[in-house]
Amino acid sequence: MKTHFNILFVISVLMLISCEVDVTNDLTIETTAPKLIIEGGLERNLKNPLGGQRIRLTATTNFLDNNGQTPLVEDAVVTVSDGITSYEFTYAGNGFYENTELTPEVNGEYTLEIVWNEEAYQAVETLNEVPLFDAIYSVFEEETLVTDEGYFAKFDSTDPAGIANFYYHRIARNGEFIVVPDPGNSDVLVISDEFFDGQQRVGVNPNDEIIFEIGDEAIVQQLGISEAYYDYLYEVFVQSSAGGFSFVGNPPPESIRGNVKNLTNSANRPLGFFYAADVEEATLIITE
Amino acid sequence: MTNVKMAVWLGCILYCGLLYGQQEFTVSGYVQEASSSEKLFGVTLVFNGSMGTTTNEYGFYSITLPADNYGLEISYLGFQTIRQEISLQGNQKINFELVEETNELDEVVVKSNRVAKAITSTEMSVATLKTETIKKIPAILGEPDLVKSIQLLPGVSSVNEAASGFNVRGGSADQNLVLLDEATLYNSSHLFGFYSVFNSDAIKDVKLYKGGIPSVYGGRLSSVLDVKQREGNAKEFNGLASVGLISAKALVEGPLGKGEAKEGKGSYMIAGRRSYADAFTFLSSEFKDVSAYFYDLNLKANYELNENNKLYLSGYFGRDKFGIKGLVNTFWGNGSGTLRWTSVLSDKVFLQASGIYSNYSYNLDNLRSGAEFRWKSVINNYNFKPRLSWFINGNNTVKVGTDFTYYNFKPGQISPLEGSSVVPQTFQDNFAFETGTYVDYQQKVSDKLSLQYGLRWSTFNRLGKAEVNQYETGNPLTYDPELDNYIVNPVVGTTAYTSGETIKSYNAFEPRFSMRYLLTDNSSVKASYNRMNQYLHLISNTTSATPLDVWAPSGTYLKPQSLDQYALGYFKTFKEGAYDLSLEGYYKNIRDVTDFKNGADLLFTESVETEFVQGNGRAYGLELQVNKNEGKLTGWLSYTLARSESKVLGINNNQYYPTNSDQLHELNLVGIYKLNNRWDFGANFIFGSGRPVTYPTGRYSQNGLVLADYSDRNGNRLPAYHRLDISATLNPKSGKNGKWTFGLVNVYARQNASSIYFSEVSEVNDQEVATGQTQATKLSIFGFPLPSISYEFKF
Repeated sequence: MKTHFNILFVISVLMLISCEVDVTNDLTIETTAPKLIIEGGLERNLKNPLGGQRIRLTATTNFLDNNGQTPLVEDAVVTVSDGITSYEFTYAGNGFYENTELTPEVNGEYTLEIVWNEEAYQAVETLNEVPLFDAIYSVFEEETLVTDEGYFAKFDSTDPAGIANFYYHRIARNGEFIVVPDPGNSDVLVISDEFFDGQQRVGVNPNDEIIFEIGDEAIVQQLGISEAYYDYLYEVFVQSSAGGFSFVGNPPPESIRGNVKNLTNSANRPLGFFYAADVEEATLIITE
Repeated sequence: MTNVKMAVWLGCILYCGLLYGQQEFTVSGYVQEASSSEKLFGVTLVFNGSMGTTTNEYGFYSITLPADNYGLEISYLGFQTIRQEISLQGNQKINFELVEETNELDEVVVKSNRVAKAITSTEMSVATLKTETIKKIPAILGEPDLVKSIQLLPGVSSVNEAASGFNVRGGSADQNLVLLDEATLYNSSHLFGFYSVFNSDAIKDVKLYKGGIPSVYGGRLSSVLDVKQREGNAKEFNGLASVGLISAKALVEGPLGKGEAKEGKGSYMIAGRRSYADAFTFLSSEFKDVSAYFYDLNLKANYELNENNKLYLSGYFGRDKFGIKGLVNTFWGNGSGTLRWTSVLSDKVFLQASGIYSNYSYNLDNLRSGAEFRWKSVINNYNFKPRLSWFINGNNTVKVGTDFTYYNFKPGQISPLEGSSVVPQTFQDNFAFETGTYVDYQQKVSDKLSLQYGLRWSTFNRLGKAEVNQYETGNPLTYDPELDNYIVNPVVGTTAYTSGETIKSYNAFEPRFSMRYLLTDNSSVKASYNRMNQYLHLISNTTSATPLDVWAPSGTYLKPQSLDQYALGYFKTFKEGAYDLSLEGYYKNIRDVTDFKNGADLLFTESVETEFVQGNGRAYGLELQVNKNEGKLTGWLSYTLARSESKVLGINNNQYYPTNSDQLHELNLVGIYKLNNRWDFGANFIFGSGRPVTYPTGRYSQNGLVLADYSDRNGNRLPAYHRLDISATLNPKSGKNGKWTFGLVNVYARQNASSIYFSEVSEVNDQEVATGQTQATKLSIFGFPLPSISYEFKF
């Protein structure tokens, strides 16, 4: 189990005697040449089959650039192979590349290949099966120090014994999947079964930042992911909530390493991750 | 030519024989403080202005000299110098009592050679501080603190105000050997590093070795902080109590087995300190669910069995608690106990032997509903440290001994709380046995040249019972240059070791050397070299504050760290000791320094070898200190120019990068002004050039969240740090017992950057949302002047 209590420790003590000032406009920070960003992967969803598989390619900008313009990569060649067939992903706008023929399978090994700017990129990922929900329900909870008062969507699920499982939780409110940068994300949104192998988990809150009102529709997802993607997401959630807060960062903030290699020029390392996941999904109308 | 040489040799031998032929006698005894009989360490005894010795940790001295009449001068910082004629016509035991220099200003100031010690001693890179000085320096919330005070000396710093521990000459905080009455403390901080574990009332003196570390010490690379507790008053019962903004303290001391005598056979001291139940949280009602406090207890007792044999008992127990209702609870601290026996075997031979138990434990309770559990980590260690000191004659002293340490690490026990479904789990214990066998020789070669040299042989054995993972390639990690990341290799099996069986064994010779050459009566040059080995590594996943200090022993995969340090210094006094100056340069070379791989996960990880990487480090610098020792105004100016860098495969594109403690310039100015018999004023000004920070070099998003890309580790610098603190002490009128201390930290409200960090704006109108907007935020720990008041009284 990964936890990140130390940040909470320090932040809560510091808030009492410290002060924070926004210095965004006082700083000039440098930017490296744009790097390729891979966002997306393959999802096997039997409950709510997807229309197609999508991968998004973009590029880095200056960190303090807030003009809302994400640099899109529109001229890449993207293929995914299952070892037998190679599926071409065609550009569908806004940086997305799509394929409707590929049907991900449990234990399938998938290789992503991208050619962009005369450089070749590659990533390999295996799809792991996810257990089903035993139950899904809504619960009202009082305010605590880290959560607000309101209705939450929760589920029960039984972890398969003897296999290392890694989970990623996603939740949608009235059709919109939501995530907020919160220090709790790295404990709540991803979890390994290290301490509950083979046990039933009861009352799992997939995201304790997302509050519902009576009548809201919740879509709850539990994804079975690889250990490498779990490690990656853990770092994503830690960094996005701590914001490279180097006061508590030891080691100092680091670029998060993904699983995509640049085969042509390894120094021009891409960012992001190509994942494959099995998705368990349930829809719930929030009631009293 | 050969004949000439022979003649010289013969002449030498004859001359030595003649010297030997002359009758020699030994004078030995103890030096103590007059009012309390507290033994004094480091008192200088000079015979006829040239031959001399100093008292050891137990106040004992011994010197052997030819029969003659001597003028003896005994001096010690802050005490009146004793001058006495001694006719040495037989072995003698003489005990001396030193009287503290009074506060009367009009009195003729006794010029002493106390400063001369800095010139004549072979020691260099050493700093000592007395409790009285520490108490006069302005302190955060009025709590005098040893570790914060030593950071005002050159070469000693901390990463920021709330960083736990301290950094010596660019080393990390875990490279300091912190000894309290010989017991090793594993965490020297309370309340996230705002305070140290040392209760200033209970401390007698403190000595910090930054370099030239003698062979009697070993086990850490950068420094030795040797702290000694007060022994207690052997003449009368005394008490001291104080109340400040952050804590209340009390101390009692008195004689043991006194009866009708003037002085007891022994003495005791008990001190306690407790921060108020919820330190800091009184500042805001928002934090009603947060609790944070600490307490500690100090104990010392000694008893004289007979003239030559004494027993000492010391103990320390401290705990910190930090909790957030419904989320997390932590409880951690050190405990130690030392039983010592000292024996004067003969006039010239002094034996000391200590048995020590020390313990560090750390509990973390996860109170999130559904997954409540407790994680507990413990280190127990048992030491036995015998040492023999032989005061051969006025020019030669030898010390030999061995330190034995047995470690039992219990890295993790996880147990469910409140009936949660968490499966109980216990990581396997780690056992290790460490020894350090040393010889230390102090030799006065001539009036100008003195040497201190020695050798330490350290061994470290990891012992079973244990099961050690075998990795596919033989190593836990493989660096993948294409991903610029470490890949954890699959475990292909385990090797089982039976109880007590050696798993992995390390040993090393550590030469130590220092020399002093007197240039004139008031100036000298010194040089030193020391090699150190460190077998324990601290696993701490923040640069600061974290109570998550878990120590890992070297073993099959984790190698010991080692260091070579070279230092050169120039020392001078002016105006008969009214001022003194020291200038030192050093270079350190470190091998197998530990760092964490990218994305290391340290908590609840049993196989820590998959999280660590090791590389090389170097640090170098210049340190200048000027002290003003006399007059109404005393104090010092210190300046440090330094660099500290590491180079580790897989970090910073395999290039050298500045360590977190790297700081190019640091300047401290400390003044203590005695206005009259009632008012003392203190002030310190600190200036430091910007510490390293890593700014992002790119922005992207993943899974709906904004992320940063980084290039060079610690490649940017924070703005310069500066701060002025002041304090005033109102001493009691004669016959009265109460003392007031007032302080103001950060007088001109400088908002020093403790950190600048970059994040997505995640809150709009008190609602947490992912906005996609980014910002840079400067964090200042003391952004405003912080006043304090405290009251102390004797009874």
